Amino acid sequence: MSSASLTAMTGERLEGRPQSLWADAWKRMRRNRPAVASALFLLWMSGTAALAPWLPGMPDPTLQHLALGATAPSTVHWFGTDELGRDLFARVVFGGRISLLIGFVGTLVSLLAGVSYGAVAGYRGGRIDDAMMRFVDILYSLPYIFLVILLLVFFSRSILMLFVALGLVQWLTMARIVRGQVLSLKQQTFVEAARALGIGDAAIIFRHLVPNTLGPVIVYTTLTVPAIILQEAFLSFLGLGVQPPAASWGTLVAEGARVMALFPWMVAFPGLALSLTLFCFNFLGDGLRDALDPHDRRDVH
Amino acid sequence: MTTYLLRRLLLFVPTLWIIGSLTFVLVRLAPGGPFQSEREIPAAAKAQLMRDYGLDQPLGTQYVRFWRNALHFDFGPSYKYPGRQVREIIAEALPVSAELGGWALLLALLAGIPIGVIAAVRQNTRWDFAAMAIALAGVSVPNFVLGPLLVLLFSLTLYLLPPALWQSPASRILPVVTLATAYVAYVARLTRAGMLEVLRQDFIRTARAKGLAERLVIMKHALRLGILPVVSYVGPAAARILMGSVVVESIFEVPGLGRYLVNAAFNRDYTLVLGEVLFYASFLMLLNLLVDVAYSWFDPRVELA
Amino acid sequence: MDDVFTFNIDAEPESYDPGLASGQPDGRVCRLLFEGLTREDPKTLEPMPGQAERWTLSPDGLTYTFHLRHGIHWSDGRPLVAEDFRWSWLRVLKPATGSRYASTLLPILNAARYNSGGLTDSSAVGIRAPDDSTLVVRLEHPTAYFLYLVQFYTALPVRRDVVERWGNTWTRPGHLIGNGAFTLSYWRQNEKFVFEKNPAYWDAANVKLRRIVGYTVEDLNTSTNLYKAGVFDWNPSGEIPSSYIPSMRRYADYRHGSFQAIYFYSINVTQKPYDDVWVRRALNYAIDRDAIANDLLKKSRDPWGNMTPAGYPGYERPPGFRFDPAYARECLSKAGYPGGRGFPMLRLMFNTSEDHRRIAEVIQAMWTRNLGIPVELQNQEWGSYMQATTSLNYDVARRSWIGDYLDPNTFLNIWRGGDGNNRTGWNDARYDALLDRASDELDPRRRMALLAEAEARLLDQCPVIPIYHYATHELVKPYVQGIYDTALDIHPLTHVWIDRDWKSRATQVAHDTRDMR
Repeated sequence: MSSASLTAMTGERLEGRPQSLWADAWKRMRRNRPAVASALFLLWMSGTAALAPWLPGMPDPTLQHLALGATAPSTVHWFGTDELGRDLFARVVFGGRISLLIGFVGTLVSLLAGVSYGAVAGYRGGRIDDAMMRFVDILYSLPYIFLVILLLVFFSRSILMLFVALGLVQWLTMARIVRGQVLSLKQQTFVEAARALGIGDAAIIFRHLVPNTLGPVIVYTTLTVPAIILQEAFLSFLGLGVQPPAASWGTLVAEGARVMALFPWMVAFPGLALSLTLFCFNFLGDGLRDALDPHDRRDVH
Repeated sequence: MTTYLLRRLLLFVPTLWIIGSLTFVLVRLAPGGPFQSEREIPAAAKAQLMRDYGLDQPLGTQYVRFWRNALHFDFGPSYKYPGRQVREIIAEALPVSAELGGWALLLALLAGIPIGVIAAVRQNTRWDFAAMAIALAGVSVPNFVLGPLLVLLFSLTLYLLPPALWQSPASRILPVVTLATAYVAYVARLTRAGMLEVLRQDFIRTARAKGLAERLVIMKHALRLGILPVVSYVGPAAARILMGSVVVESIFEVPGLGRYLVNAAFNRDYTLVLGEVLFYASFLMLLNLLVDVAYSWFDPRVELA
Repeated sequence: MDDVFTFNIDAEPESYDPGLASGQPDGRVCRLLFEGLTREDPKTLEPMPGQAERWTLSPDGLTYTFHLRHGIHWSDGRPLVAEDFRWSWLRVLKPATGSRYASTLLPILNAARYNSGGLTDSSAVGIRAPDDSTLVVRLEHPTAYFLYLVQFYTALPVRRDVVERWGNTWTRPGHLIGNGAFTLSYWRQNEKFVFEKNPAYWDAANVKLRRIVGYTVEDLNTSTNLYKAGVFDWNPSGEIPSSYIPSMRRYADYRHGSFQAIYFYSINVTQKPYDDVWVRRALNYAIDRDAIANDLLKKSRDPWGNMTPAGYPGYERPPGFRFDPAYARECLSKAGYPGGRGFPMLRLMFNTSEDHRRIAEVIQAMWTRNLGIPVELQNQEWGSYMQATTSLNYDVARRSWIGDYLDPNTFLNIWRGGDGNNRTGWNDARYDALLDRASDELDPRRRMALLAEAEARLLDQCPVIPIYHYATHELVKPYVQGIYDTALDIHPLTHVWIDRDWKSRATQVAHDTRDMR
């Protein structure tokens, strides 16, 4: 059966029995071990980060021991200390509060905005597509540093502004990628068939076209997570993100990179946190895509 | 096709105009101005500088003058570096960024696409995991960590390569590799995703059923379509990479455009910022146009008009 | 390779036109290409004869007469005459030039009025060139450090016809004509400068270097790596990341010395509650400067409680701030905030930099712990930071000041009310009066005493919080001779030379250096 007609059928089935696709997907996800492990790990990290201030035994991330300075990992300080003698483990855990939040929410927002915008542009095509893509070009070309500075000037520092600043740029490339996919997909027969059946544009876009772009979309989304976390560090250098003495993984990695040859643990542990998070998102993303995909490879052959 | 091309090219004009005008306003809204320094410039000198650069004139006049000159590619002198024209600075730094970026992009494509294809074709095997692990490692280690790490290893420990400066061919290796690494990950992942989508489709099954060799199926039929997400990604990525990367340029002391733009923003060097933005925007739109044309070449079903 | 010296200028100079130059990188290039009436002794920075071979000062301390050497030329062979100096200095003072350091020449009679536009006739300014080899300079007040000003880069001579012909591209290689020990043969922005020995220089016989290459590397790690890899022969002060300084100490390449610069915080006295001197005193006494300098900065800097640096012969600094948390709390109570109760959020601002951030975090903790006041850190990018400090839109901000010449006045002058570099809003008639009296005082000892009184007043009213005294930390290859630590981090390169027999005299060399020589 062609992907087109199967999807059309799936779409129709959605109308009647909304549970089946998702329940089906859920079953598949559970079988995917790396995805499950990743999900659990992310949950555990998020939980620890969220509960950090109340966890017993958690050192104070802002307590300085100047005379101690930077020390290597030990039983007292699991990840070592930074140059102000602060416990690095605590700083990484607390840093995760900001970074994971930004990673999840920022990426989600960028995903939703980018996908909708790009799908509509690609589907409409012609002049509308041109106009919409030129708007993307405009936003892309404007000097980002100035946009951030002005956000600070007119709205002053807040977590909302942080999300605005992060959101300004991340969704643009996603929109472009989705648009490209949709341009190619919309010529397929299943779209004609759907239109012939009288299915409205919005439904076509969001129920039929978008799910078929999920592969690259999910991949790009998962890759966006570290980019957003690092972008927050850049913003904090401009005065918008976390301000010292608070830290995020991005600022910790940036700090640590400067003294890499002297105190490698200062970059290694936050960097590891960042990498692990990325890997988890990737496995989860892959798992999600495989689960939602109507054709699992094993079924076809 | 020609009408399409013409229409797109014509669109450049209003888009550039909007971008330039918005930037013109943005830079002037930011606090501070071009003539600030830790050591105060005497008021008389500052006033003179403002006059010299026409900054004492009403905004409308400045705006008109800016566009009139821009039409001749004259963006004026840099405010931070007296005696240097913005056009000169860009002309000097752009080839450097372009070379750095060009090599990096080439490396990213040459490494990323095969990795992605292999991963897709051998999905869920250890080839897949290995390829993806490499790609992911590349994107999760930021430039400003990877660069110094490579320098530490190859320059200061193994003495194989110079630690910085853009001079000998050997000195280009580390900056290019550092810059390319993140892009390799994107290209590899997007290729894999795109290929997976394509490999499921009917016409692939048909081709296989017809008895075509597997390699031919992949390379000739699947890759053309599977590579589309990479094509969409490469447009803006190429524009960004050609305009320089401030991190890589700082670490390796490459005289490219990236550092200029970032410093220009902090120094409120209005003219340099405007010049670079217009340049970048033109580049970006041109590349996007090429990418869109390429779509229709890769995927004959795509109709652009 | 043998007579070529390579170093890091530190950053791309904004302009190395002496009349327009402002920063350290600008100065480094200017000093290679031009020479003033006097030139710095490489060790002590004292004025030594340069283009002038001798000078006299009138008994009233107001008139200097400089006698130029015979046979001095520009690099194209044209003889250098006193009129060249006169024209160059007037150019600096002319408002239309937009010179940033015209302050160097303001002690000259009528110079200030001419520079501010109040006087349009340049011939009224106290500079005369009665003949080709004599320059007579008349001052407004006796100025003890005038000879230091004369060797500053703003006072270096430029060629009138070259400047007039080429306008603002006159400094390019091929256009530029100078009178210094070197000429400019190659320059590319953000890449490098190449200087060749100038055979027309009057002391060319004693210039041993054939060529100098200056790079403009801003990244500190990169600069140090290039030194380690053998590309740089000299990594000047400020080019070693501060965290690495302790690990450099064991190498013979490492040199350190005192540097006349002070790192401090300025307080916006126009903002409540910082208009209350007791609040300011509380802030000052609550800081443990020793912990900062010794523990955080690993002794790479000296804790400092004064606003003038060390190294002024004859100057006795008044007692400075010490760490006294109990007294600090008393001060705060006197101001009406016992235990910090009711104190508003203190915004501590600094421009983006790792070093500034760490110190700010430490001080934030100290103020919170010792005074009980809430402190918030504000990291700002350069432009916004400059704007906020100059427009007095801050509570407490990080600053630093580097001395221009070897006299305490260079640190005290900026705190006059209304001075462009003040940026605290502090305006104290008593302080200004003390400085005025000092500038009229001919007796050096009484003058120094007056300056010390002024500093005491400054510290008593404390619109500023001194933190540490800078030091120079540089790396110099063992085969380089002629570079010395100097108080102002000025290094004339004219008499530097490469010692090819250094190995026979070597003790220990930096590990990571490849032996490329």
